[in-house]
Amino acid sequence: MVTAPVELERPDADEVTAQETPWVTVVWNDPVNLMSYVTYVFQTYFGYAKKKAERLMLDVHEKGKAAVSSGSREEMERDVEAMHSYGLWATMQKAGE
Amino acid sequence: MSALFHVVETELLASLVGQLLELVRDHPTDSEHRDDPLAAVLGGVGVDDPGRPSDPVLLRLFPDAYRDDDEAASDFRRFTERGLREKKAAFAATVLASLATADQAGEAYRDEQQREKVKIHLDSNEAEAWLRTLTDLRLALGTRLGVEEGDEDHWEALADDDPRRHVHDVYQWLGFVQETLVRALGS
Repeated sequence: MVTAPVELERPDADEVTAQETPWVTVVWNDPVNLMSYVTYVFQTYFGYAKKKAERLMLDVHEKGKAAVSSGSREEMERDVEAMHSYGLWATMQKAGE
Repeated sequence: MSALFHVVETELLASLVGQLLELVRDHPTDSEHRDDPLAAVLGGVGVDDPGRPSDPVLLRLFPDAYRDDDEAASDFRRFTERGLREKKAAFAATVLASLATADQAGEAYRDEQQREKVKIHLDSNEAEAWLRTLTDLRLALGTRLGVEEGDEDHWEALADDDPRRHVHDVYQWLGFVQETLVRALGS
């Protein structure tokens, strides 16, 4: 089922300081992707619990974007590439920008 | 899991997925614009940065990874786009292969109107490929149509013979199939 790497131990984007994790992956709202599918992607790829995946999905939907993961630049490049492979609109940026 | 489709639906899906396959397998740059001096003078999108697609559908399938750093976005594209295209093509090919099994399964059904239906069995890898390919198809159709959030009334107000209405119906149907599949996977 799971074809992408799942890292259950990865810290949450909002639980670590900007200094430790200088980059974040941001997923942007788009009018096409289904809410259920976006939640599914967050659960499947990041290994997030359903509740957390749904909260992030709602942030994307209602606020227009959400930081969905954080880490090194290389890690975020992997996450953004994975999001693009799922058809989600994702970018990366330095945390706090 | 298994899904029941009308034969015409599997034919429509196969046709759309075949077109998607061609789109993502196509050469990664829009070379026609670079050879056109007029387009270069007019500064068409992609002229200064040949790796960035000017087709909005390709730009949506392979978006910029950085919003405010063109150079980093271009580097990212150079390192990832080919792999992403191959991945998307492989998922689409998996969907086509599972659609082809509908003919061979020998399990034909008929609905109330005696229209022929076929059952397609999907293992978890195939279901994942379907989800991603349905997404890419909807992104392509939605971008071409200019779909926006909460614009259902606009499409329903179009005349019955408006081709955009037909395409939007297909777009909606793909969403229905995907929603059904996500729910089946989550349960």
